[in-house]
Amino acid sequence: MWKRVKYHVPDALVVSQRQTGTNIYTLTIACREIATEAKPGQFVHLRCSSGLDPLLRRPFSIYQVERKEGLVSFCYQVVGKGTKLLSRVKEGTFLDVMGPLGHGFETELCGKRVGLIGGGLGIAPLIFLGQELAKNNEVQGFWGGRSKVMMPQLAVTSDFPYFLATEDGSAGHRGLVTELVEQWLQQETPDQLYACGPRPMLAAVAQLARSKEIPLQVSLESVMACGVGACLGCICEKAGADEEKRLKVCQDGPVFWAEEVQWDGEN
Amino acid sequence: MEKIEQVDLSVNLAGLKLKNPVMTASGTCGFGEAYEDFFSPAALGALVVKGVTLQPRKGNPTPRLVETAAGLLNAIGLENPGVETVLAEYLPPLASYNVPVIVNISGNTLEEYGELAARLSTCSVVKGIEVNISCPNVKEGGIAFGSHPATAAKVVRVVKANTDLPVIVKLSPNVTDIVEMALAVEEAGADALSLINTLLGMAIDIKKRQPILANVTGGLSGPAVKPVAVRMVWQVAQRVKIPLIGLGGIVTAADALEFIMAGATAIAVGTGQFVNPRCCVEVIAGLAEYCRANEVKKISELRGVAWNGGK
Repeated sequence: MWKRVKYHVPDALVVSQRQTGTNIYTLTIACREIATEAKPGQFVHLRCSSGLDPLLRRPFSIYQVERKEGLVSFCYQVVGKGTKLLSRVKEGTFLDVMGPLGHGFETELCGKRVGLIGGGLGIAPLIFLGQELAKNNEVQGFWGGRSKVMMPQLAVTSDFPYFLATEDGSAGHRGLVTELVEQWLQQETPDQLYACGPRPMLAAVAQLARSKEIPLQVSLESVMACGVGACLGCICEKAGADEEKRLKVCQDGPVFWAEEVQWDGEN
Repeated sequence: MEKIEQVDLSVNLAGLKLKNPVMTASGTCGFGEAYEDFFSPAALGALVVKGVTLQPRKGNPTPRLVETAAGLLNAIGLENPGVETVLAEYLPPLASYNVPVIVNISGNTLEEYGELAARLSTCSVVKGIEVNISCPNVKEGGIAFGSHPATAAKVVRVVKANTDLPVIVKLSPNVTDIVEMALAVEEAGADALSLINTLLGMAIDIKKRQPILANVTGGLSGPAVKPVAVRMVWQVAQRVKIPLIGLGGIVTAADALEFIMAGATAIAVGTGQFVNPRCCVEVIAGLAEYCRANEVKKISELRGVAWNGGK
């Protein structure tokens, strides 16, 4: 059973805000409640400004947690009005946050070999996950992106090894990260896979995992309003016999077993 | 100067005694559980739960949401598990909150509205029925019943014939004459009105050159619609005898006070909860604070006080 503990902290201190790539920022807030409770794969719903436009909060996956210090970090890309305003938020000011929200990754593994596959900003929650899993498991990361400057900072991932792929060849393998995963799976049979990134990447990984019969958890992205299962805005199609039911990305997810998700026509 | 220690926030809504005038708007808090980690539904004047239909509804495809300037367009399409599951699983746990529960209903036909009212009246938790004749996001029923005074009145008569509970009618702002609609449903026996449901709107993705919502159009809510809602409450409250629940863009106690001064007996918070999960309880506290600061003993004294200034 997942313990339900969510907090609303209207005045979380911004400890640092740094630009770490092309339109990519790393934001750290002091929020002991969230830092204590957060599980990898969960997200924080954050107001980008105190005004009413943009009106809604923005969901950000948790990238780093320093439990003792009570710090929580996010890695985000400026894509619109909300993230643009967020990128202007200065150290020493306060942000209105809600979290940790959603169901995170299943991490109760021990002595297993696992692969993490992240694309673009989807790498961020897998870094938090990898750090947790690496305590008791053998972890291999696979990070992909359009370019090195479009990915989260990776220096923090020294807890476990990773392979890199970029579409422009600026770092690691030139090409898609899924190509690296496919090669790896020809030699290795991991016990479990975890993925987060663009939907086509997830669909490709889901197909690979299915063909090799390796359990896979995916973290999905969606436009959200409430973040807590109230508005039914972020639903996604459910696979299988129970397909009349739909999945709420914010509450049932954002992490799902790959076989729960309807991938029809995508892979 | 007399200092007011205890402010009376209670209001009487068509025989329902509410401890304060703050309610949730249907479809913005699930069945009360969604915001439980942030506030207890027991703090509310009343809990209005997600819209219910006779059969389960899958709702519309995605995208169902798009944010607009100070607003939110939604086209959820009344996704809900159907009245049978709602009665069996969702409503019984609400008894523990000790708060009046109002269930919002939508039918495809007059008979469905009647059956929904009858079945929900058998549940002791339910203290009122809110009749949705104003959902802009479903093909049948919904707004089709709320666009013509005579049709709306028929729905109200059928619902009234099937329940002894107070019947609240949620009106659409997407009509030529809101007063005419209000008078028609009052005449048909409505015990209270909710004003307003969402405004029909749409948004276009200029990169893809197509509508953003899968349903093409959606209902606009949030602060962007508040002036329209306040105006409609103002117009209707001065013409009907039944009480009004004002809603549309309420985020703060100041917003709520505008509705009350325009003539609303109670108010509901909808999209505001998405902005601030503690919006409802902060509005309640803010109303009490306003009353104390302005020597208002009973919140009900403020209902319609702005009318004098509008003559």
